[in-house]
Amino acid sequence: MASLTLKRAAGAWLAALVLGLAASAQAQSPAANPPEADFAKQQQAQQQSQPLNNQPVWKEVRSGQAQTSTVRGRETNVLIQSQGQTWRAARVTVSTALGGLIAALVLVLFGYYFWRGSIELHGAPTGRVIERFSPAKRIAHWSMGLTFVALGVTGLILTFGKSLLLPIIGYTLFSWLATLAKNVHNFTGPVFSVALLIFIFMYAKDNLPKAYDLQWMAKFGGMLDRSGNTHVPSGKFNAGEKGLFWSLVVVVSLVLVVTGYILNFPNFDQTRETMQLANIVHLVAALLGIAMACLHIYMGTVGMKGALDAMRYGYVDETWAKEHHGLWYDDVMSGKVPRGTEPAAPTLPQGRPA
Amino acid sequence: MARMKFLCDAERCIECNGCVTACKQEHDIPWGVNRRRVVTINDGVPGERSISVACMHCSDAPCMAVCPVDCFYKTEEGVVLHDKDLCIGCGYCFYACPFGAPQFPQAGAFGVRGKMDKCTFCAGGPEANNTADEYKKYGRNRLAEGKLPACAEMCATKALLGGDGDVLADIYRERVTKRGKGADVWGWGTAYGPPGQQPAAPAGGAKS
Repeated sequence: MASLTLKRAAGAWLAALVLGLAASAQAQSPAANPPEADFAKQQQAQQQSQPLNNQPVWKEVRSGQAQTSTVRGRETNVLIQSQGQTWRAARVTVSTALGGLIAALVLVLFGYYFWRGSIELHGAPTGRVIERFSPAKRIAHWSMGLTFVALGVTGLILTFGKSLLLPIIGYTLFSWLATLAKNVHNFTGPVFSVALLIFIFMYAKDNLPKAYDLQWMAKFGGMLDRSGNTHVPSGKFNAGEKGLFWSLVVVVSLVLVVTGYILNFPNFDQTRETMQLANIVHLVAALLGIAMACLHIYMGTVGMKGALDAMRYGYVDETWAKEHHGLWYDDVMSGKVPRGTEPAAPTLPQGRPA
Repeated sequence: MARMKFLCDAERCIECNGCVTACKQEHDIPWGVNRRRVVTINDGVPGERSISVACMHCSDAPCMAVCPVDCFYKTEEGVVLHDKDLCIGCGYCFYACPFGAPQFPQAGAFGVRGKMDKCTFCAGGPEANNTADEYKKYGRNRLAEGKLPACAEMCATKALLGGDGDVLADIYRERVTKRGKGADVWGWGTAYGPPGQQPAAPAGGAKS
């Protein structure tokens, strides 16, 4: 019963805050001086007529309104800030639900791998390679990707460690681990934000949506066809990659960066309410982002042969380009898109299908 | 076993900040940290009231619930304490606490939080009672010396009371009966829940 009430309160509070940022600014504007003077007069009358009833004063105690305190500091003049209770309830609900989603997704990916296996090439590799990612682009990708993974892992430790790790490794060890996680998280965050902006800038053009991406979407890239004979058009990036770029990289990651900065630098006098809201938004975005990143990491590693080598060494075999990114391959072959530099001799490891 | 509580009688508090000073003095509190503060409602308006507020040692303490390293524990007397050796300075208790009790000394550039500090009900921390180590981290352990919190003992008007909740309630009831007004026990609903639901027993007080 109590938890239901808390959940409802949490939902209402979140909705109110999401909608109410502008409204709060409006609500504050009429609170100028005249009402305060009125209140003083009312209070004077109240003291005369009902000297034992101080209700109007007590009404304000739970309101979270700023009062007066000689102790200097942020919000020292607020007696009771009730939203913390809502934050506490929302945090549990959100982390449990979305943490469960990530766990379920990992299971689904395992299942998918056993059902479908790694996506192999149909034709034989030609031995001729095309440059897919320049060194600068690869550095941008890995700077963002590795900092994202570091942030994700440390964030998961801080969010779920109390329930999952602490009972196993004990208080002292977990405290050390959490201290490490907190510091890695807080110092990697700003690095990630810079890497993110560089990545978005370098990759945005190739990720602009095109009409043929709808065909990819309709067949889900042929990923549900076990025979691998479904072919869908795709440019340098397919519609799935583009979707991930705009959702995970642009929207989710930028939300994470903004809320992360609010939480990471508490020395700008932001209030508790701002940080509570930022924390919940950060949590939702982070868990959704980790789920999306799991999809990407799956496809980029075990899910498809040659995908990891493309980002690792920068080159793909012509057969790989033709089968997975046909329109890009056509553009390279016709010279519309530069073929890129030739690899130095030992770049590709021997015996790999490129 | 007594259930320790704070009670501030707003009819008596004269906003002298003696409790704030007593607390700072008793525990050698560093600059920028205030375990206790006095807040005045409707300052300068007829009917203004002042309240001294610190950690209320809640029955269902939000700080305890949200701490990611579970560094809080509750003594047999219902005092909510924490272990600074485990605290990672994340600030979650500060988000959750309705009373604004958790304090963070700045431990570096860019507002990096140090280990959390808050009112201990003058009951120290997990170290052995009245050791130098305990004093350095948490301040004096007056409860172990058989004394009540310094803020309440120092209060000139006896507005701030600290001790067994049942005794405090009796004193307060007598005061209210005599003066015929001012029955508002500030903060008790938020901190201790409805009457009859105030477990004093520690909720899993074990720690390494």
